[in-house]
This record gives sequence, C-alpha cells and structure tokens, in this order.
Amino acid sequence: MTSLDIDPSDILVRYNVKLEKAMTPKDAAAELYPKDELYRQIAVAIFDGEEDDVIEGLEKAIAAGKNPIALIDDALMVGMKVVTDLYDQGTIFLPNVMMSADAMLDGIEFCKSQSDEAPVSKGKVVCHVAEGDVHDIGKTIVAALLRANGYEVVDLGRDVPVDEVIEAVKAEKPLMLTGTALMTTTMYAFKAVNDRLLEASLNVPFACGGGAVNQDFVSTYDLGIYGEEAADAPKIADKILAGSSISALKEEFHKH
Amino acid sequence: MAINRYTKMAYDSADDMIFGKCKHPVKTGLGLEIGGGYTTPEINYAPRPEAGASKEKLVKEYQRITTDIMNRMVQVGFPAVVLETEHVEQMTNNPTWGGEVAHAQKTIMEEFHDEYGIKCALRHTPGDIREDRDYLDLRGDKFTVLMESFEEIAANGADMLSLESMGGKEVFDYSILRNDVPGMLYAIGCLGTMDMDFIWQEISSVAKKHGVVSAGDTDCSEANTAMFIGGGLLDKNLAHTLAIIARAISAPRSLAAYEAGAVGPGKDCGYENTIIKAISGVPISQEGKTSTCAHSDVMGNVVMQCCDLWSNESVEYHAEFGGTSVQCWGESLAYDCALMNTATATGQEKTLRDLFMLSDKYRDPQGYVLAYDNAYRVGEAIVKDGNDIYLRAKNAALKSVEIMEEGIAGKLEMTKFEKGALADAKAALMALTDDQDTFMSDCMTKYKEEVKVFLPENYGL
Ligand code: B12
Repeated sequence: MTSLDIDPSDILVRYNVKLEKAMTPKDAAAELYPKDELYRQIAVAIFDGEEDDVIEGLEKAIAAGKNPIALIDDALMVGMKVVTDLYDQGTIFLPNVMMSADAMLDGIEFCKSQSDEAPVSKGKVVCHVAEGDVHDIGKTIVAALLRANGYEVVDLGRDVPVDEVIEAVKAEKPLMLTGTALMTTTMYAFKAVNDRLLEASLNVPFACGGGAVNQDFVSTYDLGIYGEEAADAPKIADKILAGSSISALKEEFHKH
Repeated sequence: MAINRYTKMAYDSADDMIFGKCKHPVKTGLGLEIGGGYTTPEINYAPRPEAGASKEKLVKEYQRITTDIMNRMVQVGFPAVVLETEHVEQMTNNPTWGGEVAHAQKTIMEEFHDEYGIKCALRHTPGDIREDRDYLDLRGDKFTVLMESFEEIAANGADMLSLESMGGKEVFDYSILRNDVPGMLYAIGCLGTMDMDFIWQEISSVAKKHGVVSAGDTDCSEANTAMFIGGGLLDKNLAHTLAIIARAISAPRSLAAYEAGAVGPGKDCGYENTIIKAISGVPISQEGKTSTCAHSDVMGNVVMQCCDLWSNESVEYHAEFGGTSVQCWGESLAYDCALMNTATATGQEKTLRDLFMLSDKYRDPQGYVLAYDNAYRVGEAIVKDGNDIYLRAKNAALKSVEIMEEGIAGKLEMTKFEKGALADAKAALMALTDDQDTFMSDCMTKYKEEVKVFLPENYGL
C-alpha cells in the first residue's frame, strides 16, 4: 500500500466544516416553535416528519375545541415554516423538508376530513417538466418546496406537451407556472409555451429552471423568470403575491 | 447467456491496481487494446440541438464531430483514441438512424486509421428508452426497439456497446429525497441488479452475434443522481455521506453487466468503476477533471487513479477559441493520457497514481471511499457474499460506512450534519435482516404502497 500521505489542510479547505453553525438543528428548531402547547406538539411532529404524531396532535387540538381548518394555518403551516426557514439558513437539508412536507400534507388532508369548510391556500402554482424531457427530480423538489410554503401545486409531471401546459393554465388559473428542463434540446419548449400563453393573453409569470436552462435563454421570452435553485420558486411566488411585476422579478432573480 | 457471480477479487492487493493496465484487457476497433498497458482518451459529445431536426442533419453533425476529433489527434501526435456516441433519443427510437450514424463515423475513423495508423475504436450508447411518460416499461415494446437499436449499431460499425440502464430508478427517486437508505438498497442493489441481469444477457448476445464488445453500464440514473443532488460542499440537498453510500451500493449493481457477459471497458460516468475493476479485472473508463464541461464534482483527480480510458463525459459540439469543443476537450484528455503513459514508461506510475488519489482523498467522503485502497475493501465486502445480490449490496453499504468512520477518526473532516446522516444510515442498515427474501417482500409491500409508479412486473416480480 502507498506510504505517501498528506496533511490535507495544505491543499484543500472543507468550507462546509469551517462555516457550520454551532447550533444543532433540533436546538435551532426549538427556538422557533409556537408557544401554545397544542400547536407546539404539532409543529414538533412536522419537524420530525412523523405523520402519525401530526394526526395525534391534531386530534388533541380539535378535541380541545380548535377549528380544524384554522389549525392548517395556525399549527401545520407554522410548523412547516420552522422547517423551511431552517432549510433556507442551511441548518437542515432537503430530505428533512420532504419528509416534513409529507407529514404536513397528511395533516392537511386530515383537517379537511374533519370539517365542511374548504381551506384557502396562498395560491395555486402549476409545475411541469418540458416536453421530451424525463429529468424530473428538480421539478419534484420545486413542487415540494412550494407546497411546504403553503402553495397549492398542480403537478403535471414530466415530458408534458405544450398543449397540455396551456390547457392547465387556462383551467387552473395559477398565480405562477414553473418549468424544468435539463436538456439543451428540450428547453426550447419554454419559448413555445411563452408564445402560446401570450397569444391567449395569459400573462402568467413563468419561472424556469433546471440544469440546461440559463438566465440568457430565459431572458429571451417575455414571461420567463430564471430560477437558479429550487428554493427560489417559493420566493418568486411570494413576490408575485406581494405584487411584483414580471420585469421586477427578472430584475431581482436574474443574478448573473 | 448465463449469470456468473463474482465471489473472488481479481487483484490480490489494492496496490496492484494501476491506470492503463488491467487483468483482462479488451482488444477492439482498429488496432486498439484497452487496459493493455496504456491509457487512451475517450471523447464524448452531443450534437447541437438544431442538428436533431432530421436524420440527414444528425449524420452530418456526427461526421463533422468525428473528422474534427481525428484531425486533432493526428495533428498533436496522439497514438490512440476512442469515440463515444451517446444517442440522442431519435437515434435509439429509430434504430436505423443510430446504425447510419455509427456507419458514417466508422468510415471516417477507418480512413484515418488507414492513412496514419492511429489506433481507434467507436463506442455507441443507445438511450435507455424503456419508459412511458409515467412508468418505466423495462420489458415491453420499448425493450424490443432498444434491442433493435443495439443490432443496428453493432451491424454498422460500433465496436463497443454500452447502456446507462434505469432499473430501480422509480423507487430510488422516491427514497433519495427522503434519506431512505433501505429504499436505496432495494432500488439499486435489488431491482437495479435484476434489470442489469436481464438486459445485459441480451446485449451480450447481440455483441457476440456481431463480433463486437459488450462493454458495460453505469449507475448514472441512481448513484450519479445522488452525486448531483449532493452537489458541492455548500449545497444542502443531500448529505455527501449518503451519496457515497448510494455509490457503494451501485458497485455490485454495475458489476452485474460483467456477470452477464460484458467484458468492459466500463462506462465513464460510473464512479463505482474502481471497485468493479478490483473485483473483476475488466478495463474501465472514467471521467473527472476533464468532464467539468458536463458537470462539477469533488473527485476530479482521484478517479484517474486506475482508469484505462479517460473521458470528458459529454460536450456540446460548438466553436471554442481553440477549435471545436470536441477538439479542445479531446486534446486535454489526450495530454492527460500522455502523462500517465509517460509515468508507466518511466516506472513512476504508482507515484502518479498515488498523487492523483491523495489530491482528492480528503476533499470529500465520496473521494475518500473511492480512493483505490478503500475501494478495494468495498470490493472485498461485495464478493464475500457475491451470490446474494441483496447481502452483497448491504455489505458494500456497511463497508463504506465503516471506511468513513475511520476517516472521521483520521484526517477526513466532516460537518455534524454529514456525521449525523452517516449515523442514521448506519442505524438503518444495522437494523436490516440478512435474509434476502424477507427484505424483498417487506420492500415490495412498502414501495408498492408508497411509490405510485412502481410496477413489479418490470422486474419479473
Ligand atoms: C440523473 C440524470 C438522468 C436520470 C434522470 C432521473 C430523473 N428521474 O430525473 C436518467 C437516467 C433518467 C437520465 C436520462 C437521460 N439523460 Co440525463 N442526466 C442526469 C444527471 C446526471 C443529473 C440530473 C439531476 O437529477 N440533477 C439534480 C437535480 C436536482 O437538478 P435540477 O433538475 O437541475 O434541479 C435543480 C435546479 O436546476 C433547480 N430547478 C429545477 N427546475 C426548476 C424550476 C424552477 C422554477 C426553479 C426556480 C428552479 C428549478 O432546482 C433543483 C435544485 O436546486 C444530468 C447531469 C447534469 N450535469 O445535469 C444528466 C443530463 C441532464 N442527462 C443528459 C442526457 C443526454 C440524458 C439522456 C438523453 C441519456 C440517454 N442517451 O438516454 C436521457 C434523457 C431521456 C429524456 N428524454 O429525457 C445530458 C443532457 C445533455 C443535453 N443535451 O443538454 C446531461 C446534462 C448529462 C450530460 N452531461 O451529458 N438522466
């Protein structure tokens, strides 16, 4: 075996180790949970990604007289926000967000089943992967983060024909459309989607991302906003809710 | 063709492994021997998007690419080259297109070989088209088209046949986003291997029929997906400790090609290839610092340590200041090979190998486990239970965990997060049964319920 060895600090820096926050994720989360014990229990279960505990917590809260639909915003969303805030800060990683989001969605379904009222979401977003493209993991992440941030997502899946995208926008009237493409050969579908939307006077902001897509390309069509990472998707949606125009969104999210 | 599992290591010690040489070299193409004492560049490319408009345009594009590469190789005096054509989807879905491209490329290569004597060979990699919009369809009509594609390219000039097959991907995509290590084990180690057994017996028969080389596969669809989601040091989508566990599990999965009749060279993006070379002695292609045109990773040098072909993964064909992209990247690869071959000619090859390895060993847990000494140990864990596809994959995962733990106790720095993910993965692995049937039936129940797109019939289950 080789006798050569090296002190790695002479040749490389593990910046992730150097910059890691002192606090553990659990401690960081503990500071953010709601104070009300009934809500807190649900928030902790969401953070842990434990569906069964989420339902148990909800049952307790409902038994104590809380309105099931109000619990969605007061407990489930609050718990989920702890998770997404810590993800944005780099304290926790994506799989935790996915598991928490699964637990939250189960919780929402449960709350709905306990009431005749319908909950109001922050807004609807249609997500898709470009026609001819099967690379869908980025889209799945985008959809999960949008849901985690309280948006209702209509996920059209992968390899979605342009016609189908247009039909979905007409039918769902979303506040935003997202597109993912990982191949230089498939991303051109976004231009076609843009043109067809404009033809139909559907001026919906069209957030585009994925490996092959770059800012220069997205800048060439009117409705396009380039998103570099999945976490940008809920940020763009939040800005749309706050009234940002497409050109303002381009200004803000086109970082290069 | 039958399946012959590996239960022994091809090499007696890790130190015997080196670039440019392997236990079972492969003669192929026009005068080339892969793993027979020298390394050779393997150049990969993608046509410009507009070239996909028709068959004529595609053939023309590949003719330009091939001529450019061959010209540059002779201009700078390189002795040998391999070209790899990874099909764009039209070329596989229309099998005769792939065949025509192979024929056009090979004709040019033959002209260069005749005129200059340059050694060369052509690898073709059809796309794994075995899926519909929503579901994998591994054994249906698309499978038939895929096999026709292999027939066409083999009959028309491709010297080596490869594939980046996708078995297990539907369960893997679900598991990897949920830190679900048993799910990864089931997806890659069990479902992946079962599909590899199936498809590589077929590909090897086609290769045999046409007298060409059944070359091998890579776990691009799973282990590379994990590596990409893991990303760089500051990305926060997946712990790199989990990405390398997925990689370790992918070694017995990609090994299955050689158990079903393939002989190498393994495909470039299979970062699991060092482990496979240790077990099987087949030649391997690798990519690293010279594939930054296609992706970024944290293992640019270490993967060169035992390569037989040295690749750039893929670059879109277009103009650069120094010529066309394929000429620029091809030249870089060929200079790297010249350096490795010089080391061999002067007896310095082990030193150079160790420098490649050491410059990345402590950069990241992935490079640490793939450093050839550690990779060899993962190989030993695999062959120990070589006949049990589940146990050997589980062994590989556990061995990679053990290696990382040693690293943490030594010079491999890790974040608390990476260590935490490692500890959770270890606990999940330790809790698993040793019985393949129990594991398989538990997973079948669980993933049939949780993964809507999982169809067991794809695996003959
Ligand atoms: C995994 C993978 C596959 C898997 C896909 C599995 C799956 N379910 O997705 C499989 C094996 C199926 C596959 C198949 C193929 N692949 Co592939 N694949 C990859 C690989 C290795 C990683 C992609 C990935 O998952 N990345 C991780 C995800 C998380 O990243 P992402 O999607 O970009 O998303 C991130 C951001 O972009 C962002 N984002 C994404 N969308 C959006 C949207 C919005 C609104 C926002 C804000 C952000 C955002 O969020 C994410 C995280 O932050 C890449 C390599 C590379 N360099 O990218 C090649 C790559 C994309 N594949 C490639 C090719 C050629 C193919 C095949 C044609 C191969 C073949 N010959 O069969 C087929 C394609 C079949 C088809 N018709 O689509 C090429 C494309 C080249 C080109 N022409 O542009 C690449 C670049 C490899 C290469 N260097 O050659 N592949």
